[in-house]
Amino acid sequence: MSEEVERFLLLEARLLDERRFSAWLELFADDGVYWLPTRPDQASPHEALSLVYEPRALLAVRVARLERPDMHVQTPPSRTVHHVSAIELHSAGAETIARSALIVAEWRAGESRWCAARVLHRLRRTPQGLRIALKRVDLVDSEAPHRALAVPF
Amino acid sequence: MTQLVRGERVHRAAYVDPHVFALEEERIFRRVWLYVAHESEVPAAGDYVLTRLGPEEVILVRQESGTLSLLHNRCAHRGARIVAEPRGNLRQLRCPYHAWTYRLDGSLLGVPLAESYASVAELPGLARVPRMESYRGFVFASHAASGPSLAEFLGGLASAFDNLVDRAPAGTVSRFGGALRLEYRGNWKMFMENAVDLVHPGFVHKSSVEAARAHPETLSADPITQQGVQMFLANGMKATQWNDVQLHSFAGGHVYMGGFYREGVIAPERHDPVFERYRQALVARHGAEKAAAVLAVDRFNNLVWPTLSINSRFGAMRIVRPLAADRTVVEVQCFRLEGAPPEMHELTLQFVNLAASPASLVASDDLEIFERCQRGLASRGEDWIDMRRGVLAGERRDDGEAVAAGTSELPVRHQYAAWQRWMSA
Repeated sequence: MSEEVERFLLLEARLLDERRFSAWLELFADDGVYWLPTRPDQASPHEALSLVYEPRALLAVRVARLERPDMHVQTPPSRTVHHVSAIELHSAGAETIARSALIVAEWRAGESRWCAARVLHRLRRTPQGLRIALKRVDLVDSEAPHRALAVPF
Repeated sequence: MTQLVRGERVHRAAYVDPHVFALEEERIFRRVWLYVAHESEVPAAGDYVLTRLGPEEVILVRQESGTLSLLHNRCAHRGARIVAEPRGNLRQLRCPYHAWTYRLDGSLLGVPLAESYASVAELPGLARVPRMESYRGFVFASHAASGPSLAEFLGGLASAFDNLVDRAPAGTVSRFGGALRLEYRGNWKMFMENAVDLVHPGFVHKSSVEAARAHPETLSADPITQQGVQMFLANGMKATQWNDVQLHSFAGGHVYMGGFYREGVIAPERHDPVFERYRQALVARHGAEKAAAVLAVDRFNNLVWPTLSINSRFGAMRIVRPLAADRTVVEVQCFRLEGAPPEMHELTLQFVNLAASPASLVASDDLEIFERCQRGLASRGEDWIDMRRGVLAGERRDDGEAVAAGTSELPVRHQYAAWQRWMSA
């Protein structure tokens, strides 16, 4: 199990780095959610603002936009490295909780920047393989002012 | 300074020159009324929030008597920042360096080695901001000891605060949900100009309009998704439709625009059970006639020049914090309508996430364009920026308020008229 989850997380990181965003979207369950809270202790999207809180239907619009040539904030596109490490697993009923550390290096339009986050995946086994029920990304500087965040974490 | 604005053109130095920015700090941000915080953020004695008032960091603290004081976050002794956490509760203010201690009104309570001073009574307390006034719970302050009153300064835009508070069935609003903060490497004025520019959405936001159009199934998905997609699609109107959105511009540089969210969850009047419960609560407070009038106020951005944007209908506020000629932070906050069903607050949070986060499909392209403008304006190939769009359509004037069709650059011209007045006097 642990090897399978590790492969899954590394595949997810590589799909983002290769800008295969539609394939990345496919990793989400139909009721999956992609969430970047603003507060480290935030228990729900209903108690505070979020940088992103998107059910899969809305995430599909984000992905469709990432594949358009007229997305100004990705003209030119970013190059990224999503570095996943410190993976820890435990099972929660039918789901697996994977915790990891994430560092993203991004280069775009002559500038480099770095982001670091703690990530929590709630993963569900389906006939198609593992699928993401929740991806929660807690940026180390979630409350800080951010310049445009265009590429998913 | 008067040379920087000529007719309907402005010199690029207004955006890129650090000397102009330094003068803006002195003549605008240290003189006008700036928003500080909402009274609900400091409900109890000793509650404080740390914030900025123009160039300077200030502490808003509620005293035992219930009144508010606004103090510079700078010890009267050696200048250390006294408070370092963004909010909390205090019984007194104590400097971490040599323990000079102050009452909540800023007066000096005590210093160590008092016997070594000729007269402790002559020692200063914390510097206070000279003027502070509250309008319906929204606290403003000015670094200038004299000038127009807050009511005079807000003028026709006080109605934006009225409408926000009047929408609360319990008669009050409260700040909730923390904040989103955006940063761009560009001048602060770009944000205020763009917020009332109704020609840019068709070009800048085309990618989110088209991405939403490619996913029609989202319009029958969950309410969060519906709301987001309807908001993205609203930017896809034709120029003729934008002209139906009227811009109301005021002498002080303030401006509000009519609404353009017409469909579904983001329409001014919804017909779902949650909104029905809300409407009934509002009728119970105001009576049917006034409740209908309050809900009928369909405005989008209300800009209080120089640095505030209020969206009363969505309970959202954006505070622009100019940090340098080429660096700006925008803080986005939201307000809960007390007495309204909690589901309304959830939609407020999600609306603000989707419209105003640095990761928003809409706002991120605005930030990109601001940065491209700032980089472009470094060019000395052309010194002048044009703001003549809509001059032919003229302006209708009644009671100091000018009204123009949505595609006009009239508000930008009015913002510069206000800018020139403050900068040259």
